[in-house]
Amino acid sequence: MDSSVHLFLIDVWLCFLGLFLTFYVLLDGFDLGIGVLSLFVREEHRRGIMMASLGSVWDANESWLIVLGGALFGAFPLVYGVVLNALYLPIMVMIFALIFRGVAFEYREHAHRRLWDYAFGIGSLIATLCQGLALGGLIAGPTIVGERFAGGAFDWFSPFSVLVAFGVVFGYVLLGATYLIVKTEGDAQLHAIRTAWIAGALMLIAAAGISVWTPIRYPFVADKWFGNGIVSAFAIPPLFAAFCSAMLARALWKGYEHAPFAWSTGIFLCSLVGLAASLYPYLIPRSVTAEASAWDSRTLIVIMLGMARLIPVMITYNAYQYVVFRGKVSSAHYGG
Amino acid sequence: MTSAADTVVILSRLQFAITTLFHILWPVLTIGLSLFLVVTESLWVRTNKIVWYHQTRFWGRLFLLNFGVGVVTGLPLEFEFGTNWATFSTVAGGFFGNILGFEGAMAFMLEAGFLGIMMFGWERVPRAMHLLATSMVALGGSMSAFWILVANSWMQTPAGGHMENGRYVIDSYLQAIFNPDMPWGVSHMWVACLETSLFVIGGASAWHLLRGNAVPFFRKSFLLAFGLAIIITPMQIWLGDASGKTVFAEQPAKGAAIEGDWDTNPPGRAADWDLLAWPDKEAQRNDWEIVIPGALSFLATGTLDGQVKGLHDFAPEDQPPLLPLIFYAFRIMAGIGFALFFLMLWTGWAAIRRRLTPETIAQQKWLLWAWVASIPLGYIAVDMGWTVREVGRQPWIIYGLLRTSDAASALTPQSVGFTTAVFFLIDSLLLVTFVVFAYRIIRKGPDLTLPAPSREPRKLSPDGHRARASEI
Repeated sequence: MDSSVHLFLIDVWLCFLGLFLTFYVLLDGFDLGIGVLSLFVREEHRRGIMMASLGSVWDANESWLIVLGGALFGAFPLVYGVVLNALYLPIMVMIFALIFRGVAFEYREHAHRRLWDYAFGIGSLIATLCQGLALGGLIAGPTIVGERFAGGAFDWFSPFSVLVAFGVVFGYVLLGATYLIVKTEGDAQLHAIRTAWIAGALMLIAAAGISVWTPIRYPFVADKWFGNGIVSAFAIPPLFAAFCSAMLARALWKGYEHAPFAWSTGIFLCSLVGLAASLYPYLIPRSVTAEASAWDSRTLIVIMLGMARLIPVMITYNAYQYVVFRGKVSSAHYGG
Repeated sequence: MTSAADTVVILSRLQFAITTLFHILWPVLTIGLSLFLVVTESLWVRTNKIVWYHQTRFWGRLFLLNFGVGVVTGLPLEFEFGTNWATFSTVAGGFFGNILGFEGAMAFMLEAGFLGIMMFGWERVPRAMHLLATSMVALGGSMSAFWILVANSWMQTPAGGHMENGRYVIDSYLQAIFNPDMPWGVSHMWVACLETSLFVIGGASAWHLLRGNAVPFFRKSFLLAFGLAIIITPMQIWLGDASGKTVFAEQPAKGAAIEGDWDTNPPGRAADWDLLAWPDKEAQRNDWEIVIPGALSFLATGTLDGQVKGLHDFAPEDQPPLLPLIFYAFRIMAGIGFALFFLMLWTGWAAIRRRLTPETIAQQKWLLWAWVASIPLGYIAVDMGWTVREVGRQPWIIYGLLRTSDAASALTPQSVGFTTAVFFLIDSLLLVTFVVFAYRIIRKGPDLTLPAPSREPRKLSPDGHRARASEI
């Protein structure tokens, strides 16, 4: 098949992956962020409200991770194998943590409540940290020989990946806090607003640190960002992120209920676009491009047609569930 | 290959065995119980009898607990293909990964998207919408089973493509999906889910009947489970037999391992069947055996003297490992299939003798205790069946095309040993706690005072406040 068609198909698939990653990061992001936040809440009742705000959606939110994994596995199997191989420990520890925080929703209704509240909070924190460490490890670019990972078990660990991990934690907490502003009222809501200020400030510091450190540490990123001079298309995501941050501050200041979550989402979108643009066309930095790891055109077309039909359907019933359970949370029980 | 790499392969296999053998226990009930809930909720919507609403709520409580554990134990599986079986992922991802992708997008999302409404939306959506949500969750569960079994059956009997430069390239998606093992793999597993669930529901109901709790309520669920078992238990024996014949046709080494059969029968002579034996791979023979002459040809091929290949037709490195495990796991699974069938017949006999009326049912102590004892049997059969299916496929990860030993990731034994141990601890913890919590839910019994949800869902007030939806 024509190679330009093939390249177009690969770009379509990259867009799908980007879409699934965005859904996962935003939706499970606020979900995990609320989990981390619950560690700082003393009253059991309020922790219950926080978990109840997720009762009907946490499972669907986490499902985007499965969809993302499946899409990567199907369209870019080489990347799937090599990346998960290279990031073995952070991925596995993330799964352990997700198991504990997921089962806590149901188990806290049956067993020692505080114990499972801790499982929920600590599980959320560890899962988030692991996602950040894995992202940092991916940007560093795992060592590959032939078609196999050839590095060590702890290659993903570096001061840089630790900074990325903290950035992800603050970012998810910001999403979680702004989501709670929508779902709660009274004292709980005031608490969420205060948390959003702190998390937002910390996230901006971490983001600024990552933005400065990445081009210093990884010359291929510097080439890309500054190769065409300081003023290029690569300046758009950070500028727009700064705008979103200013609007977020304004929305928090004015006490709006929905706008803070929307502007936090904007900051995340800018970060994801910036990340994707910095890595493109590589899926594994400096070694594997999307083209080199993609399956043949026929396979890409077959699964693209399937996915293109499923995506609107998935979004529709996910959205419907949010509509059915809209409004403030009024009970501290699973599913309230 | 170095010994560290060998250790990684063995540990990765062990880890996958642990995570799947634990995980599958929950989807079995998710799939069967969700369909049972569709039946009870439909009966409620059609007849408007409150007992069917109470049935739906009571068994729904067990469903929610079961679903949650099923989701989290299933999370590792998709990722393990990449983390532990990177080469397999690279070789087969173009088909296998996409099937898992479709499972996630089609089935998993459908379940997750409607689960909230099904469990917590009783007061928020109209009855018809709620029934739709329950049906979608059930459909999602069954579709999930379908796609997973498509992917797994393709590993058993790969079709629809060819190997090219170290990749499995698909020529025909239809042929790959409808590979020879698929129809039997899917239906045998799906019916196993229904059968296990029916005996869980019937067994839990029998336990309450023995204690004299809410007899009219549990007699209804008991009889419904029994009624469905009349169809399901014989059907499963037939499906098991048919899928066994596919194994002998498509994976002869596995078939021979299941029956401890070493020598191919000469033309015109029926193959002997070992009822019991101890296959010894090192000695390449059975240490001892109890033989039923001539029976295997009929069991394996359906004809009186059909040819059944023996293990000696395969080089030892192409024979499955752990022969006694395969041999006895199969016999336990098949034995349970027959035991459940006979329990159904016994119950039918009691029904004909009018011993299951509201007044007499609680006196059928032996029968009811047999149902209680049958609760774990379906689960055991499922795990035994998967053991036969997966160990019997060895030494291949894709039958005849890619060896398991060539498919693993580049990892250290320490990493895989650590995660395997943690998975074993977590899954054991989840199983024990699940059994305790499920027992509590069942012991508590139904809330027979729960009013049915109002015909019209409550309207939201403008500021978003609302009365609390019914407590679970």
